[in-house]
Amino acid sequence: MVLFVLGSLFHLDRLSIIMMALVSFIGLCVGSFAFRYMKGDGQYRAFFVRLILLIGSVMMLVSADHLALLLVSWCISNGLLVRLMVHKPGWKAARASGWLATKNFAWGAACIAAAFGLIYLTTAETSIQALLRRSSLSPSMELALGLLALGAITQSAIWPFHRWLISSLNSPTPVSAIMHAGLINGGGFLLVRFAPLYMQSSFLLALLTVLGFLTAWLGTFWKLMQPDVKRMLACSTMGQMGFMVVQCGLGLFPAAVAHLVGHGLFKAYLFLSSGSAAQEKRIDQGYPPGFPAFSGALLCGLIGSAGFALASGKAWLPGDTTLVLNVVALLSGTQLALPLLQVRPLRALPGAILCTALAGLAYGGSVRLITGFMAPMGLMHPQPLTSLPIAGILILTVSWLSMLFFRQSVKTWSIPVWAMKGYVLALNASQPAPTTITTHRNHYHYH
Amino acid sequence: METVLLPPSTDQWIDAAESLSTIQVANLVASSFKKIAPFWPLKNLIAVNPLQGFEELPIEDALPLGRAYFQQPTLPKPMEAVNRQTLKWLSAYVDDGQATLPMPLRHLGLYAAWRQLAIHDADLHGHDPQKKRFLTNLPEHPAQALCVCLPELDIASGEEELFLTLMLTTLPGWASYIRYRTDWAGLDTHHPHPITQTEYMALRVVITRLLWPEARTLLSWHQQALEKAKSSTNYLTPLQQAERQFRLPLLMQLAAQSLSEKGLPDAQLVFCIDVRSEPFRRALEATGNYQTLGFAGFFGLPIQINDTVTGESYASCPVLLTPSHTVHESPCGTPTEQKQAQRGYARLTALKRLYQSLKYTFTTPFALVEGLGVASGAWMGVRSLAPGLAARLQGQFVRSLRKPMPISSSWETLPWEDQCRYAEGALRTMGLTEQFAPLVVFCGHGSSTQNNAYATALDCGACGGRHGGGNARVLAGILNDKQVRQALQQRGISIPDTTQFMAAEHNTTTDDVTLFGDDNAEQVQQLRSDLAKARQINSLERLQQFSSPLRKLDEVQQTWLRSTDWAQVRPEWGLARNAAFIVGPRALTASLNLEGRCFLHSYEPTQDPQGTTLTTILTAPMVVAQWINTQYLFSTLDNVAYGGGSKLTQTVVGKIGIMQGNGSDLMTGLPLQSVYATDEQAYHEPQRLMTVVYAPRTRLTAIVQAQPVLQKLFGNGWVQLACLDPEDGQTYLLTRDFQWQNVH
Repeated sequence: MVLFVLGSLFHLDRLSIIMMALVSFIGLCVGSFAFRYMKGDGQYRAFFVRLILLIGSVMMLVSADHLALLLVSWCISNGLLVRLMVHKPGWKAARASGWLATKNFAWGAACIAAAFGLIYLTTAETSIQALLRRSSLSPSMELALGLLALGAITQSAIWPFHRWLISSLNSPTPVSAIMHAGLINGGGFLLVRFAPLYMQSSFLLALLTVLGFLTAWLGTFWKLMQPDVKRMLACSTMGQMGFMVVQCGLGLFPAAVAHLVGHGLFKAYLFLSSGSAAQEKRIDQGYPPGFPAFSGALLCGLIGSAGFALASGKAWLPGDTTLVLNVVALLSGTQLALPLLQVRPLRALPGAILCTALAGLAYGGSVRLITGFMAPMGLMHPQPLTSLPIAGILILTVSWLSMLFFRQSVKTWSIPVWAMKGYVLALNASQPAPTTITTHRNHYHYH
Repeated sequence: METVLLPPSTDQWIDAAESLSTIQVANLVASSFKKIAPFWPLKNLIAVNPLQGFEELPIEDALPLGRAYFQQPTLPKPMEAVNRQTLKWLSAYVDDGQATLPMPLRHLGLYAAWRQLAIHDADLHGHDPQKKRFLTNLPEHPAQALCVCLPELDIASGEEELFLTLMLTTLPGWASYIRYRTDWAGLDTHHPHPITQTEYMALRVVITRLLWPEARTLLSWHQQALEKAKSSTNYLTPLQQAERQFRLPLLMQLAAQSLSEKGLPDAQLVFCIDVRSEPFRRALEATGNYQTLGFAGFFGLPIQINDTVTGESYASCPVLLTPSHTVHESPCGTPTEQKQAQRGYARLTALKRLYQSLKYTFTTPFALVEGLGVASGAWMGVRSLAPGLAARLQGQFVRSLRKPMPISSSWETLPWEDQCRYAEGALRTMGLTEQFAPLVVFCGHGSSTQNNAYATALDCGACGGRHGGGNARVLAGILNDKQVRQALQQRGISIPDTTQFMAAEHNTTTDDVTLFGDDNAEQVQQLRSDLAKARQINSLERLQQFSSPLRKLDEVQQTWLRSTDWAQVRPEWGLARNAAFIVGPRALTASLNLEGRCFLHSYEPTQDPQGTTLTTILTAPMVVAQWINTQYLFSTLDNVAYGGGSKLTQTVVGKIGIMQGNGSDLMTGLPLQSVYATDEQAYHEPQRLMTVVYAPRTRLTAIVQAQPVLQKLFGNGWVQLACLDPEDGQTYLLTRDFQWQNVH
């Protein structure tokens, strides 16, 4: 009986397995890191208790099938996360960060609760799996999905709900690591969990795409201008979350999961190693590249993106939204080849081609690892190539090109007024919430 | 492209400025900055007394002032907004390579760049047309801006200096960095993004003028703080207790030593005066017939070291000195081997460039995280769960790209006269002018830690916060030169032909000592094995200072593991618990266990009748020791106001310093984990430095009388001077009014 009830509350599928594996691996790494890192801290034991509880509740969250269970574990997880973030309540700014996150999460939870309520009223269904098998989307269901998407984007710090994330760095480093690899992905998880329903609403998908692209662009831009390492990482996460939501909006849900996993592992590592930021020396890339180097790199990029398409099992020049991924692969391949070709483009070309081809294959392969695993779930639904993804591609490409060709000139020459305005605007927009900054040194407390 | 040109300053400004001239303002700014101690950036952290600006006062007066200026628990609310904007702009400006898209126009200087951008800052003008106009019409010169703003803020004449000081002390960490950049910058003097004290002050005051026109209130706020701080009196009590328990017993022990002459040792090893040398020297002496000496770790060489492979250059001498020579370090070996080294470095750089090229731009990071995600996850797992294995793997990987090679340095390029001068100076100062052992080793030191923003705080302070092996190599090279030895002979120092000088570097985190050169003579081999024994002995002693000994690993493994672990916040205790500076022959301390609490400087009073050597020791190394001592002291007393706070929530800003969390004052001083074993329990025992000198009283009296810096430190109670007088065998303390008081 008990087993039956439990069984009906949970549903373990490939998505939950991936998320559980990610969370437990990150939990293990962060836990063993914190085991030494937090020695001597007054909250040492409490930290680990909360960490273990958090991992437990996230496990519950990703494997829940009952709507109420999902909602409850969602709230518990976020509550625990906030408690971990406010590690030392004596520090006013940390409390303010926690409060800001709480407000954000409360909004998200309210949206999700409303969505679930609406779903239950419309369908009388409490099992997610049963819901997903429904084929038609009533207007009230679409409204519910909209609310759910709203909940998802508050969680994943999508613009305009990004403030809590860039104000969250009063947390201890291990908490940031687990957050940026864990709960921040909650939004992506939620979208993928309900993907079969979202795929029936082109409006919601378009909305996600727009917000995703905007966040991806803003997050990356802000990341590039931050002088402090942790805020840079937070803005970068914001951009990556934007890209993850873009992938959802394009109907490429398994790709979003691949992105979420890759980013989580990568970002957790970067947070844990942020103490060595001062030792990292930036190497001059010698931009703008010359024409031979750039055209050679472009060729490599094409080959790299072909490798990517091959390894990830997609067409190279698809007529649907997977094109976005291929363009990202193309730009990345080109970017990878550039430093290799900077000195003697012609002589280095064969090597660079080999390099980018291999990198493209590896990149495609690592995406395939996840998308292939998720294939039986049938969540890969590329959408037709409308003007929206094309505009997105153009923005991504132009921004990338301008970094290559105009950044250096901005450094040395006088700059136009609009650029100055833009800089100040972005500088102000990427500041943490005022109350979360420690404006007076002695307001800081480690107790 | 369209450029922004500001209208030239109008007559209106000049009228307003009548009451205060720009020169007066510049002077006021300079004197207000005197209250601020410099903060060296993370690339070479130098310990410094946070109350350096108050050392001219008796410590009893300085401590309450420190409380009033730096330890105030709160700040007037509107000032917080001013701080928020200041640190926003300042962190963007001083960034030394974190941002890919840095603040524009920085080559113009802080004020000029900021003035052009601030016009567009809604956080400053709040879309108020009047404030916008004010920003647009800001005078071109920062001093003029101050002349305008101070009267507008209603600061009366005579109050300006205090007001400007408060502008600094309400955000003391950032002001400290400006102090470094303007007064102590060394090789950073010609920074591509220039900064002056007046520029910073103008930025600060203009922001204040915009956001808090009633900032005059700060003056009365400070007055209250001052009265409150002066009313409580027991600042010194906790220090004095610790001092009482430590000082007298130490003096008694020292006085009880008999200075018997020992025979010629197998080898002499010269270590840095750093307190971490003492336990290792003790351990090494226990393994064989070795004599050890203490000397400032830059070995008296005011040099700048240039790495010919990486192209990096740094001053490798105390920050009190300016390097007068450049020494080039390059891999030794055949031209092909040198090329190999170049190529190895190029390979490593290429790899980093590749990674950075994908990471710091638009769009491609999306692919980077997916491509590298699994690999970096795996690497994170290895580093967290098996840090030792990770270190070995990383070492192998780096070695496979860049083969480690012995280094040679171009000491020959130093003018010959200087070579002789430095050689003689070093030997005389350490009192090693006769009785040379067959092997003399100069041992610099450095630390090795992972993922540690404070890495350079553990390196050699005498070498300007760098590793000291390079200086040792130069001195050994000079002293092995035949002609130099001949010249020294003429000056009365005769070095036997059988004596060989070697250089080495002591890793203070692992106690590993690397002997430079591939000499494999029997005596060198013997020394190597004894150094290994000493490492083991000292590792054991070290582990007892940490609360949690590990499993079954041996002690050497365990200390090594600490240095390689990226999660380790206490890789070593650094100079914690330092308490005394002992100047005298090693025989004075050789049989004592000083628990790594003492700086040891070798000194032979008989060889220095004029007291010139002693003057140098007291005015240079001892001053540095006092900087270190006060930094540890204040970082422990108040880790928030004077220290860096917990490492847990720190972030590296602009690659130059540390902030807490989302942003804060620049956290100068040592982090919590460097001086505290837990949040509650201090490991460092705060007490002032006691300097013990083994020399005649009369000589010390003469030196103190001639040196204002010593009168300041001893007379104001920052350092206690003690004398072990070899002439009457008595021990004396110098009182604050410069009387010798016999200690029984």
